[in-house]
Amino acid sequence: MKRRDTLSLILGAALATWLAAPGAAWATAGRWFSPIRRNRLRPPGAVAEAQFLARCIRCGRCLEVCPYHAIVMLDIRHALHAGTPLIAVENIPCYLCMKCVAVCPTGSLRPIGQKETRMGLAVIDHYSCLAWRGDTLCRTCYDKCPFANVAIRLEQLRPVIDEGACVGCGLCVNACPITVAEDGGKAINIEPVYAGNAA
Amino acid sequence: MKSTSSIRPWRLAALALALAVIVANPLINFFCQNHFVQGWYQSIAVGELWFVSPLEGLESILVAKAVYAPAFIGMIAPLTLAFLLGRVFCSWICPLTLLLEIVDWLRRRLGGKKRPSAHSEIVPRWTLWLVLPAELLISMVLGAPLFVIFSPPGLIGRELMMLVFFRALAMEGLLLLALIALELFSRRLFCRCLCPLGALLALTGGKRRLRVQLQADACVDCGRCAKTCPLGLRPQTDQAASIYCWNCGDCVDCCPSQALRFRWR
Repeated sequence: MKRRDTLSLILGAALATWLAAPGAAWATAGRWFSPIRRNRLRPPGAVAEAQFLARCIRCGRCLEVCPYHAIVMLDIRHALHAGTPLIAVENIPCYLCMKCVAVCPTGSLRPIGQKETRMGLAVIDHYSCLAWRGDTLCRTCYDKCPFANVAIRLEQLRPVIDEGACVGCGLCVNACPITVAEDGGKAINIEPVYAGNAA
Repeated sequence: MKSTSSIRPWRLAALALALAVIVANPLINFFCQNHFVQGWYQSIAVGELWFVSPLEGLESILVAKAVYAPAFIGMIAPLTLAFLLGRVFCSWICPLTLLLEIVDWLRRRLGGKKRPSAHSEIVPRWTLWLVLPAELLISMVLGAPLFVIFSPPGLIGRELMMLVFFRALAMEGLLLLALIALELFSRRLFCRCLCPLGALLALTGGKRRLRVQLQADACVDCGRCAKTCPLGLRPQTDQAASIYCWNCGDCVDCCPSQALRFRWR
């Protein structure tokens, strides 16, 4: 009888740990494991990532007004980030209509203009980019950029990003014909360099 | 029994209308690209008039440690409503209440067992006053608001939106099933004892103007009101005037001697 009690105690403790450990990890994961990474961006005007988590009340209004359905809503698998908005630019990029920033009730998306938007920064992978490799005269990103000749310029027929002007909308990523096999990225990607300690 | 007044049909109509708004909203936003009305009962906008659920707004302010004027202003109207009329959001608008009314109705239709009592003291009534500070404190420790993720009225709105926009459901919606399952054991246990938003609205409406008033000399002590009350209050002992009452009016409806009346003070 006593042995059985000990056994059930051990089993119970093991079970509790098994249940609680992921629970505890899950509870804190939200703070450390932000969904924001390459090509996974907050809508325009977003405050820094840690503030975003705190401010956003998950009301979904930014997403409802998005005419391109570019904004998706995360669910509980993203822990404390559940309900927050996200733009996956290679699926649907941000067309900078700025409707979402005008409806956010909490200031998680600040009411800013197109040019002040900094969702991230486009970075060209020179080893995959057709123009940089010298394979073809591809200039898709240059053609698609809403600030062509400003945010993306052509230098000797190769695209170059201007850090000061790129808003990180992801139109270039969405249009880029090259998908890099190893990591699923494109030859041009948006890095969320302005999201604070996001990734 | 002949009912002496009929508040209930109006309340059910209000609940149905409130649900219709958040059903129609994503459809209109998605298919018609008309954004005049946006959101659900966490934040809802009618044109440029914005409402923010008081607890969600409070969480956002406390956790972010910053006050954003539109959020603050959006909270004024709901708080005023609660200040004057009490927890009427819970009983007249909240889609979870409609869901649980439907559960009640189904149970009556299926004719099965007696509905579980709302008088069970498994969870004491004052738990309501613990969940609000607990929820706020945990949110502030984690650095992320919790009720904005798990608010049942918010979840219903979110799932309806997800259904229209993504033809999918968010997994946290399972919580709603859990709340319905809870109803098999105790009536409105979540609303009565565990809802932090309900606690905040009840607190705000502590000195509300609209109350159910007992006319003690007219009361025949039949106890019908206590059986009807979804919150397990005993209106025949004037508990409907207490801070816990959410002014649904069910007791007013069922009182055979008209001893219970809504009064504006």
